[in-house]
Amino acid sequence: MSNSKIDIVSVIESKLRDKVQIQLGQLGTAAVSTSNGLHRDVLLVMAEADEKTTITAITGLDLGSNLGVLYHIRTSNAFITIHAEVPKDNPKIQTITDIIPGAVFSELEVSDLFGVIFEGNLLSGHFVLSEYWPEGVYPLRKNVKPTEVKLNPPPEEIKQPADKNIVKIIIGPQHPALLEPEKFAVTVDGEIVTKVEPRIGYVHRGIEKASESRTYVQDVYLVERICGICNACHAYGFVAAVEKILKTDVPPRAKYLRVVALELNRLHSHLLTLGHAGLEIGYETLFQYFWRDREPIMDLIELTSGNRVYASLMTIGGVRRDLKDTDIPKIKTTLEALRKKLPFYRQLYEHEPTIKARMQNVGILKREDAIKLGVVGPVARGSGYDFDVRKDDPYEAYGEIPFKEIVYTTGDTWARMNVRMDEVEESINIIQYAVDHLPKGPFRVVVPRNVPVGEAVSRNEAPRGELFYYVRGNGTANPERVKVRTPTFANIPSFLKTAIGENIADVPPNFVSLDPCFSCTDR
Amino acid sequence: MTNYVTWARVKSPWVLHFNSGACNGCDIEIVALLTPKYDVERFGVKLEPSPRHADVLLVTGCVTQQCAERLKRVYDQMPQPKFVVAIGACACSGGVFEGDYNVVGGVDKILPVNAYIPGCPPRPEAIIDGVVKLLNALNPPKQKKQPKQEKKPQLPKEEPKTIFTQPEVVVASSEAKPVIEETKKPDVK
Repeated sequence: MSNSKIDIVSVIESKLRDKVQIQLGQLGTAAVSTSNGLHRDVLLVMAEADEKTTITAITGLDLGSNLGVLYHIRTSNAFITIHAEVPKDNPKIQTITDIIPGAVFSELEVSDLFGVIFEGNLLSGHFVLSEYWPEGVYPLRKNVKPTEVKLNPPPEEIKQPADKNIVKIIIGPQHPALLEPEKFAVTVDGEIVTKVEPRIGYVHRGIEKASESRTYVQDVYLVERICGICNACHAYGFVAAVEKILKTDVPPRAKYLRVVALELNRLHSHLLTLGHAGLEIGYETLFQYFWRDREPIMDLIELTSGNRVYASLMTIGGVRRDLKDTDIPKIKTTLEALRKKLPFYRQLYEHEPTIKARMQNVGILKREDAIKLGVVGPVARGSGYDFDVRKDDPYEAYGEIPFKEIVYTTGDTWARMNVRMDEVEESINIIQYAVDHLPKGPFRVVVPRNVPVGEAVSRNEAPRGELFYYVRGNGTANPERVKVRTPTFANIPSFLKTAIGENIADVPPNFVSLDPCFSCTDR
Repeated sequence: MTNYVTWARVKSPWVLHFNSGACNGCDIEIVALLTPKYDVERFGVKLEPSPRHADVLLVTGCVTQQCAERLKRVYDQMPQPKFVVAIGACACSGGVFEGDYNVVGGVDKILPVNAYIPGCPPRPEAIIDGVVKLLNALNPPKQKKQPKQEKKPQLPKEEPKTIFTQPEVVVASSEAKPVIEETKKPDVK
């Protein structure tokens, strides 16, 4: 954040000096407290000053008689949290979807889980909860006990008269193209998609509420189980936020070991997706090849953490296991073997007619749309939107390790997959640099069990993009609130835009190029 | 005829995978089973996308409120005889998510389960072990008694009779072990 061109905080200060309170260094670059609907004014000022202003997340809070609404906004060089409050008996607040269209899902989620009504948001209804969920019960409010909620009985099916001209294709919840249960109702005119209606929440397990009843140490393992693919990133996001509240400094060796774990995570996730894309375009050989090359990486994760999938390496104050010097040669030879295979795959992507026909010019997302919709990760970087948390807001040892930020400008499915392909090579470089420059010393510090009153945010670059955590401590061993905004949640709005006007057969490759992970999205 | 059907089923069980609220850990391990390193297709196991062609339903993850109804519907669409395998700690009992507001619990609250494979997630070897044990239970070796099992799910009474008997419940350990150890011969007099 040092090479800032626009100082967004001073812009806000100069324009809204008397109306808002600014706390520097709180919840990102600065926290801005507002009242009486001024959050929109702050946003408008920011959007005018910086074209890259977009939303990361909206956090709901139960503050007793009031409900808190935190808007986490990122700009080209800063991360601002706007704080607004609404009374519980009349929880109405103005929408921000006209300024930032990407906020639509975040607003829906807060209204579903907290009962905040966003006036002006065009979508309504249950977003993550079951359609039989009782009226007026908002699970993340403190007075709701998880075991006492009783669902309504399912209503009798109402058959709506079908319009012959419109064909609705339901993809999901159980569908061969999706590993996970989600539903997309795709309306087609001939073979052209005219509308996509998503229904997520089939994997909603209520992890945010569950984490409030567990201790911080138990929560590390609980938040890991949000997602089986990017589990190390989830555990890291949580422990980083807690360490910020505790004001703990992690030893340098732990920082490097964390980078190794996070990059191994990225490697296996990208190889998985590259293979999965092959499956979706009917190129099963490519799928088998990528998954064959993924297995040695799984072995490396097992070597460094003791487990194939759930690494459980992160802990508050460091990492749980040290890396043995005798393991380093094995890591290096395995990665070199993978590096030698990459030119073959790259040449496939460059010249193979099947891949080019199914991926090039499919699902084009323009740079302006990418910024407005707030997409993250390879989807953003495939559209020429250079947003990588590792570069923009370096965490752990990423500031000390040289690596390239991969950006493609065509914005189609092919570009997104190529970003992942190039990132595989960058990840190999990062891991090799990290194990070569591993500092000596302790890999963990002891931290107190009780976390003081305070709040913190943490961001990291998961394989699918920016992963956001907000943790609020209340002085006990249990957190008051844990909020997770996962990358797929931010990327789904872009699919609703890019799928429209395209062939129905292009829906699967386009969708897989987002690298969708619904267990992340629903939590 | 029954023997013939059993033979065909044991040699080539078609499995359907349903994620009822899993974290992707188990799901990815199931896909990893089909890929070159583990390759369960050598046992004739084929991942089948349609419930109407499947013999075995592999369920991963705790059952969420939204998925409970869909899971039952997918099970009803499968032809008889059908078998359910619960993969992972969440599918076996609800796991860490037991008691959450949107979670019903383990798969056995919704469906009769024939085999449990615990682990978070179970290693691919453990899943192979579980599937092989299920197949062995389908076709018990002649003149050999099956050892008594510890766990038995409560099968719903309205379950129609199958062409041949439902297999005994098998509990695979999370660490893969040779099958021979588990099915020791009883003392033959």
